[in-house]
Amino acid sequence: MEPFDLFSMRESYNRQQIMLCFNGPISRSLIEEIGNALRNYLAADHAHPSAAMDVFGVYIELTQNIRHYAQQKGWTETDASATVVVARNDAGHYVVSAGNIIEQADGEALLACIDELAGLDKAALKARYKEQLRKPREAGAISGAGLGLIDIARKSSAPLQASLRRLTDGRAFVSLRAEI
Amino acid sequence: MNDLSIPGSQSTPAIDGDWDRGILLMQGDSYPENSYQLFQQVFSWVERFLLESARLLTLELRLLYLNTSSIKAMMDIFDLLEEAYRDGKPVAVNWRYDLRNERVAELAEEFREDCTFPFAILALDPAASAS
Repeated sequence: MEPFDLFSMRESYNRQQIMLCFNGPISRSLIEEIGNALRNYLAADHAHPSAAMDVFGVYIELTQNIRHYAQQKGWTETDASATVVVARNDAGHYVVSAGNIIEQADGEALLACIDELAGLDKAALKARYKEQLRKPREAGAISGAGLGLIDIARKSSAPLQASLRRLTDGRAFVSLRAEI
Repeated sequence: MNDLSIPGSQSTPAIDGDWDRGILLMQGDSYPENSYQLFQQVFSWVERFLLESARLLTLELRLLYLNTSSIKAMMDIFDLLEEAYRDGKPVAVNWRYDLRNERVAELAEEFREDCTFPFAILALDPAASAS
């Protein structure tokens, strides 16, 4: 058994300027409650209302995407686990990261999509966003997932970063990072 | 009973449709996981009003943060208004926002780009209204 030591965890969080983090099954109400806490932190941090709304928006899209993905796959609530971290970087920007288990093939498609978005400037992202918004709803599609990613990219001040770690059974863990 | 009344929650806006006055009021944040379920009722109410009433329909909006699925649902409602307007029906949107939060104005502006009916984006000065 690992020694019981929250101190090193705390040191690590402090060093990385982590304001808020969560790891585990994420329910609809948990998304709301953590979102509330996030809004309170941002207000206490004197974030500009627009910046606070962007951080909150990115957090909501990332976590709701995770829930939608698990639901679409017919996975259990426990499978709808998320690892969510909100931090500040050295430049003072807010960074919202989220990770979840995904099928390897879906993860590769997601990374390709993020790579493609990274090459688009603000105007091209807006055009892509409006195009996606106009697409008819597909039955059984991840509700607006494509739109969510573009929305996150538009709210970000740097290209989204993503990585995939292969697990067993054709599954992988995908990490997404948005700097606001 | 032709009025529509949906109380707001943390993640859903308060929605009040006043049939006799032709006013649909929506205020608050909107980020439910399933926005389709919520907005379907609003869509139906607007659709019915446009079909059965010849009077002006005004959307009074004080919406703040919208998740992307709420944005898609609002776009469907604006499309409905646009279609009615092109058929000669009087419709209007007034979207009021807090002057300090320009993100809301930008969001409203992106909707307005696709509309030809009267669509006002009005800044509220919280300092002025408080005094």
